[in-house]
Amino acid sequence: MTGVETNDASRVAEAARDCGDLLLELTNISKRFPGVVALEGVEFELRRGEVHVLFGENGAGKSTLINIIAGTYPADTGTFKYRGKEIVHLTPQAARVIGISPVFQEFSLVPELTVEENLFLGRELTAGGFLNRRAMRARARAIVRELNFDLRPDYKVAQLSRAHQQMVEIAKAFLTEVRLLILDEPTASLTDVEAAKLFELIAKLKAAGVGIIYVSHRMREIKRIADRITVLRDGHKIKTVDAGEVSETELVELMTGRKVGVLFPKIEHRPGEKLLDVEHITLSDRSVDDVSFYARAGEITGIAGLVGCGKSELIRAIVGLEPIESGTIRVGGTVIAAPTPAAMTKRGVCYFPSDRVAEGLALARPVRENVSMAALDLPSFSRHRILQRRSERRIVQEIVQKLSLRPPLIERAVASFSGGNRQKVLLARGLTRDISVYLFDEPTVGVDVGAKAEIYELMQTLLSTGVAIVLVSSDLPEVLNLSHRLYVMHRSHMVAELTGANINEPAVLAHFFRERQPDGIVARELHATN
Amino acid sequence: MSFPSGGPRLFDASISNVSLRSAAETSRHRRAARWGFVLLLPLLIVAMALAVSLFEPRVLSLRNIINILVQSSYLLLFASAQMVVILTGGFDLSLGMAVSVISVATALVTTGLAAADAPAWLVLIAGLAVGLGVGLLVGAFNGLFVSWVGINPFVVTLGSLNICYGLATTISGGRPVFNVPDAFTRPLYDGTFIPGIPIPVTLAIFVAVFLYLLLDRTVFGRALYLIGNNPRAASLAGIPSRRYLFLAYVTCSLLAAFGSLMLTARTGSGEPNLGGSLMLESIAAAVIGGVSLQGGVGGIIPAILGSIFVTLLSNAMNLLEVGGYVQQILLGCVIIAAIFLDRIRATRA
Amino acid sequence: MRLIGPIMSGKSSSHCAGPTSIVEWILRSYRPAGFLPVLLTVLLVAFALFIPNFVAVQNLLNVLRSSSYLVIIAAGQMLVLIVGGFDLSQGAVVALTSVSSALVMVALKETFANEPGLIILIGVLAGLGCGAIVGLVNGACVAFLRISPFMVTLGTMSIATGCALLLTSGIPVYGMPQSYVEGFGRGLWLDLPTAFYLAATVVAVIWVMQNYTRMGRYILAIGGNMQAAIVSGVPVKTYLILSYVICSVLASVSGLAFTAQLGSGQAVINAQLTLESIAAAVIAGVSIKGGVGRVEMVTLGAILLLTLTDAMDLLRIDPRIQAIFLGIIVVLAVALDELSKRRAALV
Repeated sequence: MTGVETNDASRVAEAARDCGDLLLELTNISKRFPGVVALEGVEFELRRGEVHVLFGENGAGKSTLINIIAGTYPADTGTFKYRGKEIVHLTPQAARVIGISPVFQEFSLVPELTVEENLFLGRELTAGGFLNRRAMRARARAIVRELNFDLRPDYKVAQLSRAHQQMVEIAKAFLTEVRLLILDEPTASLTDVEAAKLFELIAKLKAAGVGIIYVSHRMREIKRIADRITVLRDGHKIKTVDAGEVSETELVELMTGRKVGVLFPKIEHRPGEKLLDVEHITLSDRSVDDVSFYARAGEITGIAGLVGCGKSELIRAIVGLEPIESGTIRVGGTVIAAPTPAAMTKRGVCYFPSDRVAEGLALARPVRENVSMAALDLPSFSRHRILQRRSERRIVQEIVQKLSLRPPLIERAVASFSGGNRQKVLLARGLTRDISVYLFDEPTVGVDVGAKAEIYELMQTLLSTGVAIVLVSSDLPEVLNLSHRLYVMHRSHMVAELTGANINEPAVLAHFFRERQPDGIVARELHATN
Repeated sequence: MSFPSGGPRLFDASISNVSLRSAAETSRHRRAARWGFVLLLPLLIVAMALAVSLFEPRVLSLRNIINILVQSSYLLLFASAQMVVILTGGFDLSLGMAVSVISVATALVTTGLAAADAPAWLVLIAGLAVGLGVGLLVGAFNGLFVSWVGINPFVVTLGSLNICYGLATTISGGRPVFNVPDAFTRPLYDGTFIPGIPIPVTLAIFVAVFLYLLLDRTVFGRALYLIGNNPRAASLAGIPSRRYLFLAYVTCSLLAAFGSLMLTARTGSGEPNLGGSLMLESIAAAVIGGVSLQGGVGGIIPAILGSIFVTLLSNAMNLLEVGGYVQQILLGCVIIAAIFLDRIRATRA
Repeated sequence: MRLIGPIMSGKSSSHCAGPTSIVEWILRSYRPAGFLPVLLTVLLVAFALFIPNFVAVQNLLNVLRSSSYLVIIAAGQMLVLIVGGFDLSQGAVVALTSVSSALVMVALKETFANEPGLIILIGVLAGLGCGAIVGLVNGACVAFLRISPFMVTLGTMSIATGCALLLTSGIPVYGMPQSYVEGFGRGLWLDLPTAFYLAATVVAVIWVMQNYTRMGRYILAIGGNMQAAIVSGVPVKTYLILSYVICSVLASVSGLAFTAQLGSGQAVINAQLTLESIAAAVIAGVSIKGGVGRVEMVTLGAILLLTLTDAMDLLRIDPRIQAIFLGIIVVLAVALDELSKRRAALV
């Protein structure tokens, strides 16, 4: 890493000359989008040579904060101080020029352009108005060599693997001199070998005085590289702690805001027959690899794992939303060869998507239509394709009362309801027909505490009717307290099945943090080829 | 390889519980806005009629009003055809040319049968069958490529537009087919079915009622709104989106076919240029009436109001002796204005 | 070095670092258009062998001339398609340009009787001005009002056609300077139609733009991944508007050349022009979704299309039936593009 090392001495000296230790100082940052408050009164600071982790659930505001720092859009309120000077009117270009380099999670790459073209997008080198392609090619090669990445600058990004795309994203940050590096879940797509290279790079940067903001869910990484950790929740900063002084469980507590008041109902466990049986499922994109599990009547089967482990993809594949390469799915003993949402619904499997806005609800339509959406083929809702509106109204009204929808007005458009109530509308859909297996995918994200409790009560009621519930959740307390049987997934594999007393935090966390041994790779390979 | 869609998540869309206004307040606000928009168009129609009557009092004469109603009836069929497809978030550019080719085909068949001394009922039935049959084919073509292959409806209907145009001019030899027999025109145009109301208006009323029932009371109609509003949610909930999307385009073309049959009966000839400006007029009528181009918003009332508005506009311009070319320019401006309004409506909601 | 791991979710057929062979690289880069040069050559040979009069000099010159007009327009449509848009108003812009340039030239006939050069210049500027205005309206509506490009260009198409008809009442406008019509429109330089040189220049300029200027990359980025473009600081609105303006101006350029050849200003011009330009672009591998497009391919696409048209004319196939074929070709070409993309995504 010659590029960085040679600048070490001068960089450190410069650092001493400048404002002292603080590289970035944000105070009272707020940001609103139409209908959503993303950040409220957030304070954040970053020191030179520090790795500062941003920690929080999806929707906590991490993306918004790093976009503000990177200049994508300005904050509504607050001050932004960088190297001692107040910054206003920051643009992505200007940010890079002053040394702020973001590496985004969802790539900022254009698929049909080459690696080199993507590296220089927006800051091309020109000679007399025309592109100086030779200079750009040389610089691209130099950066790739310095970073020790295995990249060919003339290949199109669309042809690269996800891991290599991530590398391009990282390389982009090093085009200009980096003083503040933002890494948003950088190892999500990297193998362990590549991740190790990344950590080496981070160590070198630290030594050279570069400040690093690191967004991650992975405890192992955080423990390894973080100096300080700031926890965000619902757009607010909860706490900033020293990495060495905080435990994993404490972090999770801060992140989820487990309040004393939230009660998880004690749900009776009366396991019956297997209603859902999944064997050796592998998806075409390998986000799920050779996974088997089953769900029984009268039992809540939990699936836990870090973000990106494949648990969501797993249950989506069951209803046909992800392409399956191999494996069998059995519902009530019958093998389903080519699952589709419609077919699975008729078989009695109901899937509640995690993104209710994008995949679940028709916001401009009334509650009544949203609830009855999945049951329009049933005789109580339509006969000979003609809607039975009176019957529909009656049934939906009943269900909505049962779920305590607030306010229980079924003709009102779903868009006017709060998140928790919107989730109830979605769940109401599952009560319109005979369902034997419920698949919950992150059911309480963005749901307030009161509604959460009501949703848990619904699960309890459902279970007493003899259905099977599969609960996929990144919310550790939720999945720990509700599951009767708990599976743990890690990087597209099923790594554990826990029951009874084994369902406790330390046990589960241990499986989250499994170190991948070198033999592990070989062993799995052998296993795969057998 | 699944390339992540979009790019950097600019903000986390799942935050939804910390809202700026209370739910009750929002809906009151929204209800007020909706009433405002609903009353806008009828008021505008009345205002426009009154304004024009200052320059040209003939506009408010009974004869003219009946004339407008009859004219609107034809446009209603085309506007509602377009509406069915716009509801799903799509479009039918081929409407005008489909009308032309259906007109020509029907005229050829009916004149041919009449020349062969076929009985009156056969002429009528054959005419209807051919007209609706061609409509079915066009709709099926559009629907197939939009729903199953998944091509942008603009491109598909642009292609079918040209195909219909080619067919229309080819089979007609470029000239109108005259002397469509009375056996065909009488039931569809001359005289009255219900005393006092011209047949075209009666037919339009039937179609309007039929569409109302279709959209409001059937699973198909419900599905159209859901697909237009959130196609992914609709698919996930098990609604056979592809099948209904296909049927939407077929319905559109069948409605247009019916309108074409009525027009052919009226002119008494099969015209390869019948559909000329119909595509633009039908879109203008639908959008002005309140059918949203985003999909998922619309109904028979917006189609009716929009048709009356556009008809009144061109009727007024004719009475005021505004040139045909200027009318075309105006139509283009009106479309852009309507789309602009529609955009504002969408962002406000 | 092969990296093995369960999370590697790239194209299963490629190694981590990308394709290893040149052939694979070519096929990947030129997906549907890879066969275009081959197809064109095959067709040309076939027509030369089997259709009498195809290789006649006059015929080839005609094909070259009409291809030139189409190439210029299709290049413009390509730019707009690349940024993820669409321009239905091109045909109308050609008509409007034709009419306005002719009218201006005729109006100035008396005033500048001795300076035909000046008449031509002002007439040409008037024509180009029309294109620029329409393009500006299109671009502004799309970039600032964020209205769908289909709807905007549908509206401007109607307005432009109406204006053209209004100005001339549908009657052709005669009386343009002789030097313009004979020298430029129908003239031959070095035995090749002038339109050819015009088209060649346009293609060369756009080729340079695509490969050697920032704009070339920016429009690909805007169409390929607008979020990425925004976040990289690309001035998206500016380049959107620029694309629509250039598209309409190129339509004007083609209109001017065509008008010169015709010898009169016409408000009613080939109704299929817009569809032909889209067809040429789509056959050339320009995606309707945006982010892909090369001008050299579009040139081949335009030539292919017009060679087919010419062959059909020589075979006495009714032009009205040709219209049907055109519609079918466009739909099939786009369908193929869509299906091949879908298959690629599943890999």
